[in-house]
Amino acid sequence: MPASDAKEDCLHLPQNLTVRAITIVQQEMLQFLDKTASATIELDDDCQVDISFLQLMEAARIYAGTAGKHIALARPASGPTLDVLKCSGILEGMSADDLQFWLHQGGIQ
Amino acid sequence: MSFPDPIAVFRTEAAELLEQIEAGLLDLNVNLGDKDQVDAVFRGLHTLKGSGAMFGFDALAAFTHHCETAFDRVRKGEVPATQELVTAVLEAKDHMRALVDTPNGNHEATGEALLTSLRAAVDGAKNPGAASPAKAAPGQNHFKIRFSLPQSAMANGTNPLPLLDELRELGECTIVADRSAIPALDLLAPTDLYISWEVELLTTQPRSAIDDVFIFVMDEMQLEVITVEAPAAAAKTPTKTETLVAEARPGAAAPFAAPQAAAPAPIAPAPIDAKQKKASENVRVPAEKLDELMDRVGELVIAQSRLSQLAGGSGDLQLRAVSEDVERLSGELRDTMMVLRMVPVTQLFGRFRRLVHDLAHETGKTIELVTEGESTEVDKSVIERLADPLVHLVRNSCDHGLETPEERLAAGKSAAGHILLSARQQAGEVIITIKDDGRGINKERVRAKAESSGLIAPNANLTDQELYQLIFQPGFSTAQAVTNLSGRGVGMDVVKRTIDALRGTINVASHPGKGSEISLAIPLTLAIIDGLLVRVGDGRYVIPLSAVEECLELSIEEDMRSRGRSFISLRDSLVPFLRLRDLFRTGTKPDPFQKVVVISTGSERVGLVVDQIIGDHQTVIKGMSKLHHDVATFSGATILGDGDVALILDVGHLVAEGQQQEAHLRAAG
Repeated sequence: MPASDAKEDCLHLPQNLTVRAITIVQQEMLQFLDKTASATIELDDDCQVDISFLQLMEAARIYAGTAGKHIALARPASGPTLDVLKCSGILEGMSADDLQFWLHQGGIQ
Repeated sequence: MSFPDPIAVFRTEAAELLEQIEAGLLDLNVNLGDKDQVDAVFRGLHTLKGSGAMFGFDALAAFTHHCETAFDRVRKGEVPATQELVTAVLEAKDHMRALVDTPNGNHEATGEALLTSLRAAVDGAKNPGAASPAKAAPGQNHFKIRFSLPQSAMANGTNPLPLLDELRELGECTIVADRSAIPALDLLAPTDLYISWEVELLTTQPRSAIDDVFIFVMDEMQLEVITVEAPAAAAKTPTKTETLVAEARPGAAAPFAAPQAAAPAPIAPAPIDAKQKKASENVRVPAEKLDELMDRVGELVIAQSRLSQLAGGSGDLQLRAVSEDVERLSGELRDTMMVLRMVPVTQLFGRFRRLVHDLAHETGKTIELVTEGESTEVDKSVIERLADPLVHLVRNSCDHGLETPEERLAAGKSAAGHILLSARQQAGEVIITIKDDGRGINKERVRAKAESSGLIAPNANLTDQELYQLIFQPGFSTAQAVTNLSGRGVGMDVVKRTIDALRGTINVASHPGKGSEISLAIPLTLAIIDGLLVRVGDGRYVIPLSAVEECLELSIEEDMRSRGRSFISLRDSLVPFLRLRDLFRTGTKPDPFQKVVVISTGSERVGLVVDQIIGDHQTVIKGMSKLHHDVATFSGATILGDGDVALILDVGHLVAEGQQQEAHLRAAG
């Protein structure tokens, strides 16, 4: 059974997005990106996140960019995802592209 | 007993806070790295927000919160202080004043626009790459840390986030993740850690505290710690970085770049300084209460004058003794009262820093304002009335006097124009000078304009001073372009009227290409003065004692000899004199022994011939009625002890008249 739901161009990720489950999420995402030109990633508001997930998403952005594909989050990062972005220091060094991808905005609120 | 309205008290305190905030912002604008000013502005905003919320000024509290947040970020080093941010908060400060004055007004649109500017200023200032440069306070250590955990750290159960939190607990900390090592998704080993971190830490903890954070992963990780010296020391010893790198753990990656230039100072708790301590010993009194008290003192002085007169005509020695005591005490009370009313001109000058800042912004000129003599004290009512004339004069200097940076450079001047605002006391007057180093007043243009306006006859023979005084005529402007600052000829005549109303004089000096200087001479007080009571014919008059130089006797022979000349010889110099009996057309015969009271303003002197010098007199100044608005010889009136009214002579006008008379007589040969 796949860890995530893929509906058209949207990939709904599972709740557990920590290092314990990250390998499965990577496989799901690779498959998904390979079959679509424009991917939207959907996260649960109460998902469990750690740095491994943030790395994974960053890697997915690089992969999509290299393959000429588009990847985006369905909604701006919030809740635990935003907390980890802040805590890890990733938020501090964000470029405009990063802000657009993670927060759907040009500036930090 | 009445208690002050708490809302009114809040408004007064808010006005002071806003002034402090403005002063702090303007100081910060000069030195953007001044952390003390950042803290001061933050504290001001914080207090204003809190007080506003407490007194029900919710819109003010909500709006101020945004500015406070912006400055909090500056304090924490998240964004640097920039001129754009200072300008945005200065504009926001004006909005806060409106929210204080009219809390129920329709301010939403303005507020939103200002907040947009504020956000833009904060976002523009934000520099993620420069992770919060900060300066360590005494006793604080400033570390730059770079570390990377083993690639297998996460797989082995080490979560980097708690380590980062532990670092944050050590002090003021900025953490930036380095994601550059993350590969593309297909190459990623998802449980491996690719991120490393750069941290800036201000802490009172020693270097070993950092090691303690990583104690369980120390053997496998890369940790590099650099102790950052204070900026001054770092600037003097640029090689320090290399030495410090040696402190990093062996095998560490390349060190950080050398510490950059001066960083903002750390957040220091507001010290309870002597000024604050002194402030707690002061009592706040509404200005109108002071005015009331002044009126009472004035009435007391008049009553005392009457008592003195009665006692003088009585043979009762005890009554005379009491009268003298009352006279002494009322004099002391008056002096104390005068001191209470005196305020330093720094209150007046303070507002011009903002004005010049805004004008520089509007005109695109670089303008430096220098103030001198800010501790000079003047009666508060004089200060209040001087504000508008000075605004006009400073605006004119900025707009018309000073050249653009390009013009100045072409003229061999510094790009920045300078305006000097100074104050000093001189013989019962305060002299306020506005001086610029701009292009100066174009005399030819003033003359041409005056001639074309019919103010003077073509080729009229005028001194420079007379010519310059024409700029104070209504509607007179030599500006070639009208700007929204000045150039419509409205304003300078208002300056003249206001200074006249203050019994003051205006002196103008100008040097082509070098600048202009306008000096305002204003009486120190408008309430009570020491006067010299004199009699001319049957009337009594008061001459302000501060202007009196000396008194001489004018014998009938000298009077006869000087007829037609009106000069007296005073220590080898000729001093013109005016016969007040003639001037006032008393129709009386002169006393056999007339007196000459020599009065002066600055270096110019004139003698006033009176019939009798009665003596000194505490003069409570009462304004002239509107009917006497055009009477230039008198500046006011006072009530004497017997209830009679005595007019107060306008010294400036009489000196000018005497000098004019002298000039005409000299010209006539």
